[in-house]
Amino acid sequence: MTMFHFFNCAILTFGPHAVYYSATPLSEYDTLGTSVKAAVVYLGTALVKLVCLATFLQVSENDGFDPYQELLKALIGFIDVAGLYFALTQLTHRNISQNHKFQAVGLGWAFADSVLHRLAPLWVGARGLEFTWDYILQGLEANANLVLSISLAALASLIWLRKNKPKTLIPIIYACAGIVATMPSITSYLRRGLGWYFPKVVGFELFTSLVMAFISWQLFSACQRPSA
Amino acid sequence: MAALKKSTELLESVYSVVALLFILLACVGLCDAAAAVDVYRLIQYDMSGSPFGSRFAALNHHAASLSFPPGADLSRTVLIIPLRELNITFVREYITQKKPLGGLLFLLPEVLSFKHGGNMQVHEKEKMKKLLAELERLLVHSNIACPVYFAFENDDIDTVLADIKKNDAMGQPATATTGGYKLVIPTAEPKKVVSPTITNIQGWLSGLKADGDANQLPTIAIVASYDTFGAAPALSVGSDSNGSGIVALLEIARLFSLLYSNPKTRGRYNLLFGLTSGGPYNYNGTQKWLRSFDQRLRESIDYAICLNSIGSWDNELWIHVSKPPENAYIKQIFEGFSNVAEELDLKVGLKHKKINISNPRVAWEHEQFSRLRVTAATLSELPVAPELFEGTGSLFDGRQYVNETAIIRGVKLVAESLARHIYGHQGKNVQIFADESILAVNPAYIRSWLDLLSQTPRVAPFLSKNDPFVMALKKELADHADEVNVQHENLEGIFTFYDSTKARLNIHQVASVTFDLLLLLVLGSYLIVLFCFLVITTRGVDELISLFRRPPSRKVKTA
Repeated sequence: MTMFHFFNCAILTFGPHAVYYSATPLSEYDTLGTSVKAAVVYLGTALVKLVCLATFLQVSENDGFDPYQELLKALIGFIDVAGLYFALTQLTHRNISQNHKFQAVGLGWAFADSVLHRLAPLWVGARGLEFTWDYILQGLEANANLVLSISLAALASLIWLRKNKPKTLIPIIYACAGIVATMPSITSYLRRGLGWYFPKVVGFELFTSLVMAFISWQLFSACQRPSA
Repeated sequence: MAALKKSTELLESVYSVVALLFILLACVGLCDAAAAVDVYRLIQYDMSGSPFGSRFAALNHHAASLSFPPGADLSRTVLIIPLRELNITFVREYITQKKPLGGLLFLLPEVLSFKHGGNMQVHEKEKMKKLLAELERLLVHSNIACPVYFAFENDDIDTVLADIKKNDAMGQPATATTGGYKLVIPTAEPKKVVSPTITNIQGWLSGLKADGDANQLPTIAIVASYDTFGAAPALSVGSDSNGSGIVALLEIARLFSLLYSNPKTRGRYNLLFGLTSGGPYNYNGTQKWLRSFDQRLRESIDYAICLNSIGSWDNELWIHVSKPPENAYIKQIFEGFSNVAEELDLKVGLKHKKINISNPRVAWEHEQFSRLRVTAATLSELPVAPELFEGTGSLFDGRQYVNETAIIRGVKLVAESLARHIYGHQGKNVQIFADESILAVNPAYIRSWLDLLSQTPRVAPFLSKNDPFVMALKKELADHADEVNVQHENLEGIFTFYDSTKARLNIHQVASVTFDLLLLLVLGSYLIVLFCFLVITTRGVDELISLFRRPPSRKVKTA
C-alpha cells in the first residue's frame, strides 16, 4: 500500500520530465547529453550555494520572515542564474538548434532540482503508514518547477545567445527573467511572511509558472520573427 | 442554442470534476498526525500448564468500534470498547466461543489513571466497580487468542473513536480497501519470566527481658502481604488490597518503635513485622516464610494479626479466624479488639471459616499460620473471603478508592488493642495513642505512603530481587525495627508468567487501496494528456495520429 503511494508520488514528481523529453522533438535530436551536462552543472551550483549559505546566513530560532536574511538568500540565489549562464554558453553542445538547446538545459536543470530536493523526503516519508497530502503537493510543486525552469532557460537563452533582439522587448525580457529567478524568495515570503498554507503556495506556483511560460513563449516567438 | 449547449456541457464537466474530488476526499479524511498512546497489556500466565490471559502482544490491524455492521469479519480488526459502552455478554460470547478477533482495546475512564486522581460520584463508583470486577474476572480466567490492551481515555483517542464510529455507521468497517485507522503496537513476542522471585521482609523489635529471666519472651506478629495481581499488571497498584495493609503496618511499626526506644516503656513482648509477597498465589510467600522459622520462634508466637484491605470501610471491620470462636485465645483477642472498637465508635465482627487441609486454596493469610498451629486472625473490611485472583489489586483499586480516615482508624484500633495486651491494660480505658500526643497516628505519613503505593504496580513476578520499591520497604522497616531480614524465594512452580506488560500504541490514519488506485488513474491520465499536448504543440497533430496508426504494410505497395 505505502510503496504504492510512493510510486504514485514518484511518477507525479519525475514523470513529466520523462514525458517532456519523449514528447517533444528533443528525443529525436538525441539531446540527452545536454540535459545530463546541465544536471551536473546544477549539482555544482547547488554545492556553491550551500557553502555560501552556510558562511553568510544566520539560523533564526523562529520561523518568521526576516527581510535581511531573505535578501541575502535572494542574492545567493543569483548564483543559480550564473550556473545557468555557464550551462547555456560555456558547455560545448553538438550542433543543435537554439530552440532545443534551452529546452534540454531547462529539462536537465529541473530534473536535477527535483531529484536533489524531493527524492529523499519522498523515499523516507511516503513509504510510511500515515497518509498525508504533502507528497502529492510536493509533486505538483515539482511540475511547476519544471515549467519555471524551462521558461527561465528560454529567457536566459534570449538574453545571452540571441544577438539581434527587437529593442522594445529587451526590458520586458530582463524583467521576466528577474521575476522567474527570484521565484524561490517570493514563495518563501508567502509561506513565512504571509503565513500561507502549503496547498495555497503550490497553487500560486502552478499559476505563475503557467503565466510565465506563456509570456516567455510569446517573447521567444516574437524574437524568432526577423526584426523589422 | 449551440452556445447554451456548450455551456451546459462545460458545467457538467465541472460538476464531474468536483464529484471526483469529493470522492477522493471521502476516501481519506483530513490528514491528522498519528497519535501515540500508552497501553497496558492483559496478563498472560500458565497455571499448572493451562494457558490463561491474552497470548499475543504485537498488534497491526484496522480499528473498529462496537457499532460495526453485523456479520462483518473481525479477524483482522481491533475492537475499541470504552468502558461505558461495555457489553459483557458480547465480550463473553466472543471469548468463550473463540470467535476470530484481531484484538481488543478497552478504554478506561480518565479518573482511574494515576495522574488524574479525581473524584467520582458514589453511585457511579459502585457501578464501575461492579462492571470492572466482572470484566476482570472474565478476562483473567479465560484463554484469549488475540492481544488485549487497556488504555486511558484522552482527547486524541476520543476524536479517533468518534471518527471510527462515524465510518462504521456509514456501513464500511475499516479494511484494506476502505481506509480508516490502523492500530500498530510493535513489540516482540512475550517471553516467559525466568524464575520469578518473591521477597519477604521481616522486622524484629525486641522486648524488654527482665534480669534472670531465662525463657524466651513471647512474640506478637503483625503481617501484611504487599504484592498485587490484576488484569493489567502494569496498572495493578492495589491501593486498598493491600496498600492499606502495608501503610497500616508501617505506621504501627513506627508507633511501637517510638514506645520501644525507651527501655522504661519497652514491653515484655517481642514484635515481629512481616511484609510478605506471593499473596495472590494462595499466600505462598507467607508459607515459605513461616517454614523458614526456627521451631522455638514459631512456638513463641502468641498470636499473629494479618492486615488485608482496611482502606475503604465505613463502620464495620471483620476479624476472620480459623480456630473456633470458643477457643480461649480467640476470645481474648476478640474481646480486646471489641473494647477498643467501642471506644473508637466502630463495630468489629468475628467470622469463622474452617480450613480444609486437602484444598490448596488459601483465602486468608492467617490460614497459613493456622496450618502450622500458630494462633492468627485477619483484620479486614471484606466480609467474605475473596476468590482466587480477585480483590488483589484490580483496575478500580486506585488512589481514589481508598480512604485515609479509614486507615487511620484501623491503625488506632490495632495499635491500641496490641498495646493494651502488651502492657496488661485490658479492659481499662487508657488511651495510649491519643491524638495530639507524641504517639498520635500521623496522617501525613499515611498519606505519603499511600500516594507512593498508588503509583507503584507490584505484581511479584515482575519485581526483581533488587527492585527499588522492595529496597524502599526494607529501608523503611529498618528505620523502625531493630533488625531487618530479607528472604528471597522462588514462586511456586505451578505458575508461569510472561513479560511485556506495557507498550506504546501508534494510531495511523491510512488511505485505502481504492484511493491509491484512483490516484494512479488520475496521474496516468494526466501524463497521457501532457504527452499529447506536448506532441501537438511541438510536432503537430499529424505526428500524434501517426503514432497510433500502424505503418502501411508492404503488401499494399507490392500489389
